[in-house]
Order: sequence, then C-alpha cells, then structure tokens
Amino acid sequence: MITVADLTKRFGRTTAVDHLSFQVRPGTVTGFLGPNGSGKSTTMRCMLGLDRPDTGGASFGDRSYRQLSSPLHEVGALLDAGYVHPGRSGRNHLRWLAASNGLSKSRVDEVLGLVGLETVGGRRVKTYSLGMRQRLGLAGVLLGDPHTVVLDEPANGLDPEGIRWIRDVLLHLASQGRTVLVSSHLLSEMAQMANDLVVIGQGRLIEQCSVEQFVARHADQWVRVKSPAADAIARAVTSRGAIANMVDATTVELRGVSAVEVGELAARDGIVLHELSPQTGSLEDAFLEATAAAQQFASQPMQGLS
Amino acid sequence: MIDTIRSEWIKLRTVRMNLVLFIIAVAFPVIVCVLVASLGNITDLRVADVAGLVAGSSVITALLLGVVGAVSISAEFAYGTIRPTFAATPRRMRVLASKAFVIAVFAFVAETLVVVICYELSSAIATSRGASLSLSDDPQARSALIGIVIFAIIVSLLGFGLGMVIRNTPAAVAILILWPLVAENIIFLILTAAGVSRPRRFLPYTSGFGLASTDPANHEGLSRIAGGVYFAVVTAAVAAAGAFITSRRDA
Repeated sequence: MITVADLTKRFGRTTAVDHLSFQVRPGTVTGFLGPNGSGKSTTMRCMLGLDRPDTGGASFGDRSYRQLSSPLHEVGALLDAGYVHPGRSGRNHLRWLAASNGLSKSRVDEVLGLVGLETVGGRRVKTYSLGMRQRLGLAGVLLGDPHTVVLDEPANGLDPEGIRWIRDVLLHLASQGRTVLVSSHLLSEMAQMANDLVVIGQGRLIEQCSVEQFVARHADQWVRVKSPAADAIARAVTSRGAIANMVDATTVELRGVSAVEVGELAARDGIVLHELSPQTGSLEDAFLEATAAAQQFASQPMQGLS
Repeated sequence: MIDTIRSEWIKLRTVRMNLVLFIIAVAFPVIVCVLVASLGNITDLRVADVAGLVAGSSVITALLLGVVGAVSISAEFAYGTIRPTFAATPRRMRVLASKAFVIAVFAFVAETLVVVICYELSSAIATSRGASLSLSDDPQARSALIGIVIFAIIVSLLGFGLGMVIRNTPAAVAILILWPLVAENIIFLILTAAGVSRPRRFLPYTSGFGLASTDPANHEGLSRIAGGVYFAVVTAAVAAAGAFITSRRDA
C-alpha cells in the first residue's frame, strides 16, 4: 500500500505538484496518468526521498521511503532507464546496486535471466538498445524481490512487443499481491497495463478510479446509424432531445440516445437500417478531455478535487 | 556501511577510465624515475635527491587520483546514477562517506605503489651505476616519501569535494588542476605585492606539498606537519560544503 498525502513540490515559482493525495492498493496495477509536465516524475522522486517535498509526503505501509533500512527489499523503483553509466556493463550496474543492499552476485544473474539479458549482461550499457535498457532497469527493480514497485514511463520508447512484455511482468507482479504503480502520459498504453488509474494534471489530482470508470465518464459515446432514411431517424431522435449529426446522406451520428432506443424507434416507424452501432471515442480523447479540464482549472482554484 | 562501501568499490573499479587513470598515475612517475636514474648525473646523488625525484614526478599521480575522486561523484550527476544510488541508500551521508573511504584507499594503494616502485627502481639503478644510497641515513627523505602518500590521499579527497560542490566533471577537473598550477601562483603574486611576509604559508596546495618536501627547513611555507594539516583542513572544508549541498539538495 502506497499513500501519498498532501504532497506539494515547488521549483521556484512553479508548483510542480500541488497538494496531491492518492492511494495505491496492493494486488493491482495502478496507472499514474498525466500529460507531459503534469508532475508525475516529480511526485515519484518525492515518494522516493530524492526530492524534498514542500508539504506532505508518501508512505510505504507505515514508513516513509527514507525510513526504509534496505529499500531495495521493499520498494523497487525505476525512474529512468537512462540512469546508468554507459561504460559499465549491465551486470556490473546491477552488482553495485545489489551490493548496496547486501544482495548477492547470484541474485544479479538471476534477475538478468528473468528479464532475458543473461547473454548480454557482460556488455557495456552504451551498446544496449532502449528496450534492453528498460529490461536492465526492470532487473534492478526486481533485485530485492520488493513488495512495492514504482516505475516511471517504463514503456517509453518500447515497441509493441516490449510494451506487452512490461505489461505481462506488471500484471504478474500484481497477481502475486504486490503494489504496482506505473506512470505514463499515454492512456491507450496505460489501459493495456493498469486496472486502476490515478489521473493528474498540473500537479493536481483529477480522478482516482478504474480504467473502465474513467473511460465511461470521459469518453465520447454515440450511435452510428446507416439508413436510406437517415434524415427521418435524425428528425425522430432530435424531437426526443438527442443530437443528430448527418455525416452524409445515408449516415447519421446520434448522441444522447442509446442504440436500443434507436432500434426500437426504427422498428416502430418501419425505417430500414443498414447499420446500427454504438461507438466509443478513443482513450486518448477521453484523457485529453479530462486533462483539458485541468488546463482550464489551472487559472482558478479547483474546489473539492485536490 | 560495509554494503555501501562494497557498492562504491564496485562502481569505482567497473569504469574503465578509472583503470586507465590508475595505470597512467602509476606508470608515469615510474618511467620518469627510471629515465632520470638511468640517464642522469649520479655523482654526489643523495637519498634525498631520489626522494625528491619520486615526489616531484608523483605530483601527476596525485592530480590524476584527484581526477578519479572528482569524477566518482560528478559522473553520478552527469549520468543520473546518483538517483538510483540515493534510492538504494537513502542515507546520503553514508554514501558520501563510503565514496570518500573508497577513493582514499584507492589513492593510498596507487601512491604507495608509486613510491615503492619508484624508490626501489631508481635506487637500484643508481646503485648499479655506482651511487651508494641508504634511506635510513636521511629521516627527512623517509618522511617525504610517506608525505607523498598522504598528500596524494588529500588531493584525491579534494577532487571528490570539488566534484560534490561543482557537480560538473570538466569544471571540477579544471579547478582541481588549475588551482595548484595557476590560482596559487596568482594568489602568491598578489600576496607578495601586498607585502605579506612568507606568503607561501597561505597557499593550501603549496603548503600541502610541503608534506613531500625533502628539505622542509628550506621551504618558505609552513612546516611539513603544519602544511599538511592546513591542506587537509581546506580539503575537509570543501568536502564538508559538498556533502552539505549534496545531502540537502534534490538529487
């Protein structure tokens, strides 16, 4: 269980994180979502005791990160896969990390195997592809077999296969009862990995809910109808208060009315339908809509959300 | 603490540049000493001359060890590895103390190697050419050889301190090297112009190098011990400032 409470971090006049509070439950993957520059990385750095918050803080169980005596055994964190010395081999990078928390050399080889880098562990990191660096970073996270995992943009720059791999690892970790927090600025990517969402914009909490709830609440939903008498359908639904948008002479998009209602209406009036399909806007649209609100609210205090 | 020291030792020895610097730092004075002992004039060669040769040629060693010290922390900021470091060991002072310890031991080993190899080789060569040398005849020369090792350790820690304060590798290395070569000369000229008596005693690096002097009575600065202590105190002040900044600032 991670608890972030009233976390504020200012850099000079800029408030990067603004009285942010949320909780991350064990046993599920929680996505930490926000546009670029919304304060996700700053929040994570504050959680790990790397940046000093101006107010509030984070706790893992009942302790703050700095109170953990061997943090790698409890919290595995990957802030940036680029935080490696390019001249050091992947194995040696993990070895210093392991040694700092009393972990053995054999554990290093074990996690290298877990992430599929056993054959390239001796190569210098500068020869690694971005995907290999992400795997190396994840190996570092797994070193101490932690009950909590915090990852900042682990899928950044990965190909679809790499994203799928990360997703499988995270879901596996969560299924073992671990607490998993993973950030991204892409909702579509997040929807593949996470069950729960913590959505922030401008350093403030916008929403904490499940992915489905978020999409249902924010995504645009409409009914697409194709019919030789599309205009008749449009007239019938607008008289009931719905909104109709003629796409062309035979296609209309209806908002504020369900597909069932449209079907029943067409049957009653004897109108021929060639297509009747409920549509949902993309996750990206939902996300943009939600965070666009945060942009709006940025100029005025947002009551009750933070 | 042992874990942190082990971690820092792995970091130091797994970067190829440190290995290269170590080899140059040891090889350079050895080559110079061998050349001078083989080709130089050895009539009236005293043990103090050999010790002076070792001390003079291992100034480079000390500076290179200072570079190792500076880079050991500035590279962490440059590559961002300071974040996983402090995430793995949230007690930052423990990390910094472990780094300082590892750097000091590294400098001790390197400079001791230099002194032993240089002294043994050059006195062996000089003896084979007909000179007669005995270290036990000259306590000042003996102190100088020990002083070189202490001097090198302090310079390596000065580099570490500068790296913590400045956080930028080229800048930290430039200051480390330009301080003795340029800054102290300028300060010396200014102090002399201002009419300060025995101005050398105010120059930390010059005073510190008194540790390696074979003729401290003739050294215009502080005595061997006082000079060494002064240099160590200045280094400690730089390191303390660096440690304070590093432990307080966002990583």
